[in-house]
Amino acid sequence: MGAIPFRRTDQPVSQPSLWSLSKRLLRAVYRSYIFRVTVQGILTLWVVTTCTFYMIRKMPNNPIEVKIDEFQTKQNLTYEEARSKVAGLFDYDPDAPFIEQYTDYMGNLVQGDLGRSITTGRTPVSQQIAKYLPWTLFAVGLGLLISFVIGMIAGAAMAYWRGTVFDNVMTAFASISYGIPDFVIAFMILLIGGIQLELFQVGDYIGSVDPEIKAGFNPEYIRSLLQHVLLPVTTYVLASVGGWMLTMKSSTISTLGEDYITVAHARGLSQRRILFGYVGRNAMLPLMTRLAISVGFVLSGSIIIEYIFIYPGLGKYLFEMTGKRDYTTIQGIFLVTSAAVVISNILADLLYGVLDPRVRVGSK
Amino acid sequence: MKRYLLLFVAFILVFSVVGTFSSAKPVAKAQDAPSGTFLGTWPYTLPPDHHLNGFDASGLDTNLGVVYRQIVELTPAYYMWATNEYLPMLATEWGFTEDNSAYYIKLREDALWSDGTPITADDVIATYALARITNYFSVFSGGYISDVVKVDDYTVNFVFAGEPSLVAERGILKSSISAAASYGDLPQRALDMIASGAASDSEEWAALKTEITEFRPAQLLASGPYTYTLDDVSDSYMTLHWQPNSIFSSSVKFGEIRLWAGETEATTPLVLSGDIAHSTNVYPPSTQQAFADAGIRLLIMPRMYGPALLFNFDVHPFEVKEVRQAIAYLIDRSENAFLTNGLGATATVYMCGLLDSSVPVLMNQEDIDKLNRYELNRDKAAELLESVGFAKNSDGKWADADGNVIAAEYKFPAEFADFSAAAQNAIDQMNEFGFDITPVATPWQQTAQDIRDGNFELSVWSWASGSPFSSRQFFGPIQRFNYVGLTDGQKGMNFPMEFEYNGETINLDQMIKDASNGLDIEVQKQRAGQIALIINDLMPFIPLNVILSTEPWNEDLLAGGPADDDPILQNPSADHFIVLYLLNGTIGPAN
Repeated sequence: MGAIPFRRTDQPVSQPSLWSLSKRLLRAVYRSYIFRVTVQGILTLWVVTTCTFYMIRKMPNNPIEVKIDEFQTKQNLTYEEARSKVAGLFDYDPDAPFIEQYTDYMGNLVQGDLGRSITTGRTPVSQQIAKYLPWTLFAVGLGLLISFVIGMIAGAAMAYWRGTVFDNVMTAFASISYGIPDFVIAFMILLIGGIQLELFQVGDYIGSVDPEIKAGFNPEYIRSLLQHVLLPVTTYVLASVGGWMLTMKSSTISTLGEDYITVAHARGLSQRRILFGYVGRNAMLPLMTRLAISVGFVLSGSIIIEYIFIYPGLGKYLFEMTGKRDYTTIQGIFLVTSAAVVISNILADLLYGVLDPRVRVGSK
Repeated sequence: MKRYLLLFVAFILVFSVVGTFSSAKPVAKAQDAPSGTFLGTWPYTLPPDHHLNGFDASGLDTNLGVVYRQIVELTPAYYMWATNEYLPMLATEWGFTEDNSAYYIKLREDALWSDGTPITADDVIATYALARITNYFSVFSGGYISDVVKVDDYTVNFVFAGEPSLVAERGILKSSISAAASYGDLPQRALDMIASGAASDSEEWAALKTEITEFRPAQLLASGPYTYTLDDVSDSYMTLHWQPNSIFSSSVKFGEIRLWAGETEATTPLVLSGDIAHSTNVYPPSTQQAFADAGIRLLIMPRMYGPALLFNFDVHPFEVKEVRQAIAYLIDRSENAFLTNGLGATATVYMCGLLDSSVPVLMNQEDIDKLNRYELNRDKAAELLESVGFAKNSDGKWADADGNVIAAEYKFPAEFADFSAAAQNAIDQMNEFGFDITPVATPWQQTAQDIRDGNFELSVWSWASGSPFSSRQFFGPIQRFNYVGLTDGQKGMNFPMEFEYNGETINLDQMIKDASNGLDIEVQKQRAGQIALIINDLMPFIPLNVILSTEPWNEDLLAGGPADDDPILQNPSADHFIVLYLLNGTIGPAN
């Protein structure tokens, strides 16, 4: 060990200059993981926005042509009649150069303006998103939470009692559930549960809430909210819980085979402590990452489920606006959902480090 | 933490289950309103997209559609297809003026808006002023009407821009009249703009047009027996409420009209569960069968269009008439119709561009007798192909002298179950005959765009239309998807509309445009006959079949539905029987 160099007290202390402080600060910021992922996230969003801006406009037809088609079909108009009827109705010029449209859009975007809907009376896109987003967060978020919790518990139990009848039955259920598309499950619930077995009146479960009940924080309204979200949530849970169960089972089995579990058994630790303190926590790690990413996808809703149950979420709205080629609205929804995915990815990385101290995602 | 999470989830589940089995709906009823709720469906939008402006694309036309707008804002008259006559609604008299320079309507003097104020000629003038600025009515966009003049408090003259027209008559009698009071000072400003002589492409005209379309009426003044506010629009259904001041308020038998949101997928279970009593949506044959199995009656009505096989005339050998005629002979249209929409489609009979049901009305018998019906005859098809140099090769495929097989890609819209089924069956039949046709399914918007751009070889889209006039029925697809009806250099089918025919130079585009001009029905029949015979001979497209509307009608919930042979069932959606039967009280709630 070398001698520690001491500074003589009579030597003048050199004060760091403002420049060197700034440099140090900048270096620290640059090396900061959060800063880098934030910049990375912003760049990702810019690339996604640019790509979607281009791709959306490359879709066949534009808002005006779609409306002309609609007028021609529904009102038996000639092309010229339909075009003159549509002219001026939409705040959109299909002949404007692409780059001009792009710079206009990005210029507004950096000021926080998502633009106005082209086809629906120039409603601000942000207003539309704010209107539909809460319903999606409520329905899909609740569904995700329930399926995650059930999936974790059932998956761990399947792994723990693997090879038993319980495991075999649950694995079969999970595989079937995971393999059936969500819209098929939705129709099965409606047609078998509602029509064939008459377990419920279909109309009482469609939409977001009973229109006859006045909105407010009262038991009747809350009950109606829960009643109307029941079928979308059940569909979402049935369609996704299988995935969680199988992942958790696989992860738990893998954890159960780890040396430290064997050691824990050898040390005579109780089953309960091994199960919850050792197996559960470690087996959950891959699921937490997936959960965080899934949270991002919650915002895009579940298009078909919302469409079938006439649930007024963002997914259903996106579907309708895509049919109308409402570029600004589609763009706004894509931006918000992309941002959610990017942010949830960042959170997933950070969360992983918290859950598993061995993994430190930092500046090194 | 975990315990709280579990408790929360358990709470949610229990609450949901409790809510499931203990729901009870209080339904408010307006006083003096008839009892009962009509349960229909319409794919409306939600506020703020949903608004009450009748002159904007996302307003009343979108949200009430051609069926339900007419029971909120009455039209002057209602058209009966079976008898070719108009029945009075808001108007008591109508017709051409003596010198045929104008068309007049005389309003009922006892008609009131829902706020109790009288409906007068001023409302008609205001409606047409707003429609003229926005170019919203076909009488303006089609150039039929040059002026709208108030004669007295209840009479209005519509001055023709050119010769008098029966097409304009239909446009006038079928357009809803809006309340001037709902639009503030906009009607007067529109009238001032028109009186000033401003050009329709001027900046001030465009500015006023924008102002009108962006205007959001605070309330909907109804002339029909039902009205609604934006508070009545929910995401699951919207409710039209009975109002006492309409001329039809005493005859209707429903206190409410509940219109469920959603298209076919969303409304199917609602029809089966009895939440929807009548639906105008299009259901595939399997769903129709499910309705029938559930005891739900299916009403069959004309839809006034069907799938047509479209040729690209730039693609050899489809520019050859005999090849097209051969295809017309070789396709079994009955089979094609059944696979298109089950019992909800019929094989095309006359093959002339006019709907079979309209042919006897729009053509002379002499011309009808001349039409080639192209009945299934594969020998004849082979003969025609051989006459233009094709023969079957060793692979059983039809090829020309150079060995080039008749091959093409057939594009069709993947989402349209009926059109894609029609296309796939036509492909199967052509391949079975010895062609080499490859199916290409694309999103419907892509298909439409490709047809317009001429980026296809064979495709499918609709022919004919829900209009009683030959000029409109001939329009699709040889004008709609041909260079004459397109823009920006789009070629579409590129079927030449000017050509030599029987020693004469023909301008088929102009012939079609003029077909329904004037008031002389016999002259119109002659014109239609000429065009029909040309189309029948040249076969620029193959009208495969005609689709019928099969609408579920739940007799456990509705009484008074039309009998299968009721002439009103000859009306298509544009003149839906629901409008008349709701208003005159023919239909009501079942006991």
